[in-house]
Amino acid sequence: MVMDFDYPVRQYDWADSLFRNWKKKSVGGGNMLLEVRDLSKSFKHHQAVKNLSFDIEEGTCVALIGPNGAGKTTTLKMLAGLLTPTSGTIQFPGEQKKDYRYLIGFLPQHPAFFSWMTAKEFLLLAGKLSQMPKSKLTSKINETLEFVGLLDVKNKRIGGFSGGMKQRLGLAQALLDEPELLILDEPVSALDPNGRRDVLQLLLRLKDHMTILFSTHVLHDAEQVCDSVMMLKEGIIKWNGSLLSLKKNHTSPAIRIKTAQRIEHCFNDIPGLEHIEYEDAKTAVLYFINRSINTDLLLKVILEKNLTLLNFEQLQDSLEDAYMKVMNQ
Amino acid sequence: MKTLMTLFYKELVESLRNGKWIWLPIAFIIIGISQPLANYYMPQILESAGNMPEGTVIEIPTPTGEEVLSSTLSQFGSIGTLLFVLAAMGVIANERQNGSLTLVMVRPVSPFQYITSKWFSQILISIVSLFLSYGLTWYYTNLLFNPVKWDTMLTSLAIYSLWIVFIISVTILLGTLLKSAGGIAGVSILILGGLSLASSLFTKYTKWSPANLRSQASAVLLEGGLLENGWLVIWTTLGLSLLLIAVAALNFKRFEQF
Repeated sequence: MVMDFDYPVRQYDWADSLFRNWKKKSVGGGNMLLEVRDLSKSFKHHQAVKNLSFDIEEGTCVALIGPNGAGKTTTLKMLAGLLTPTSGTIQFPGEQKKDYRYLIGFLPQHPAFFSWMTAKEFLLLAGKLSQMPKSKLTSKINETLEFVGLLDVKNKRIGGFSGGMKQRLGLAQALLDEPELLILDEPVSALDPNGRRDVLQLLLRLKDHMTILFSTHVLHDAEQVCDSVMMLKEGIIKWNGSLLSLKKNHTSPAIRIKTAQRIEHCFNDIPGLEHIEYEDAKTAVLYFINRSINTDLLLKVILEKNLTLLNFEQLQDSLEDAYMKVMNQ
Repeated sequence: MKTLMTLFYKELVESLRNGKWIWLPIAFIIIGISQPLANYYMPQILESAGNMPEGTVIEIPTPTGEEVLSSTLSQFGSIGTLLFVLAAMGVIANERQNGSLTLVMVRPVSPFQYITSKWFSQILISIVSLFLSYGLTWYYTNLLFNPVKWDTMLTSLAIYSLWIVFIISVTILLGTLLKSAGGIAGVSILILGGLSLASSLFTKYTKWSPANLRSQASAVLLEGGLLENGWLVIWTTLGLSLLLIAVAALNFKRFEQF
């Protein structure tokens, strides 16, 4: 079941001031930004990531989905240069330098700051460490803080920030030097619904300007922001592709019928039926083998049996179902 | 170099905000100036505090200024070492534990730059504290006892500072090996104390030992120059400290979890 999630469309005029000065990205040019081959990571007792190989195209937004302990964080940390892979390579085609950390903006799952610093001081430190030119830094810090909505607390100590503010500051430090690849580890998991919506909205804005890779275990978040997903389970890629093709390949069409009378066994003879689930005695969900469903036939059966129809609903393909199918393969 | 300066500056501001720039100098000043004061007022202290029988005569030979300074150095040797270790034990462990290290290491920062920024800043704070304390002690010594030449005082301070460099190096190295601040402090003290003990037990085999710096610094005060092996001790201390820092940087590289 897909909930329609309508954003109140807020105008982000100030965001444009952030992007105006950004170097143009060749979005959708089909260039590979990142090539990962046979990436593995073993810890003392277990292998967290097993032979991952994937590419990330420039300008795309990829969600890394998987249950807890699937190896998402380990993978992202290796990409960010915080963990050394046991074997395998991570390459940015076109980049010669071995230390590619300057290409990446990384937001860890639980960003921790120097709590004695103010937000502005922290970004100043981050910018200096990333070798940003001093002349641009101050205005850049203000733009970025405005983008994440922290401009009015820029001179407050980080020690007094709430979880959501820290998450936004974490996003700010990741964005600060206009990275080619933005890596976010569970950016919204620890947030309340409001903070969650804010961060997702920021991501939607950023999507057009940089390549984003983020991990989550909430499918809905992935669906809102990203076009392609990578599913990870026990360190292995279970699925890598676009969301559309995932839904197409892994969901079966279904119809829910609710009537005023009991309807057990009414629809047993419908052709093309895979199986029927009864939510209660008066509600049935019919799963079909293929997508073209003869709804007329169903209605006819209902009329013939003199049933009072209360609800007739074509169930949308749900990402959750696809996810369950892929994960349990 | 720029990265190193940025990190170094961050360390100094941090020490200012968390009060290390205040408590460490004050603690040292108290330890330092208590020595000449206690020496000078010892007869009065004994008279008012002790339950001496009537007519007891206590004769304490007045120490020379050099002797007072030398005994101050030995005060620094025991409590001072402990204070320096306590001041430096958390510099890496804390950032590792609370995760703030991550947001530094996602940027193009090399382990060497990170470690040396910690090393320099801790050395600076410690030596400035020591200098303030020793300078004040020298001032009181000159007032209450005989004047000690300022260059003698500075030379002994410089030699003694090398011991501080060594303490900080050991603590920083352990900071990359152990995770808990308490463990770092404990093992550092164990190593430094063990070295001092070994140096006084097996003098024949430990002529090189950094723990001899204290006696070298005292010799500068009392005898006007280094003992034999003076330069050997100085060079081994410098060499060992650099080695420890290099090992710390290598070890830091191997961290699995920043």
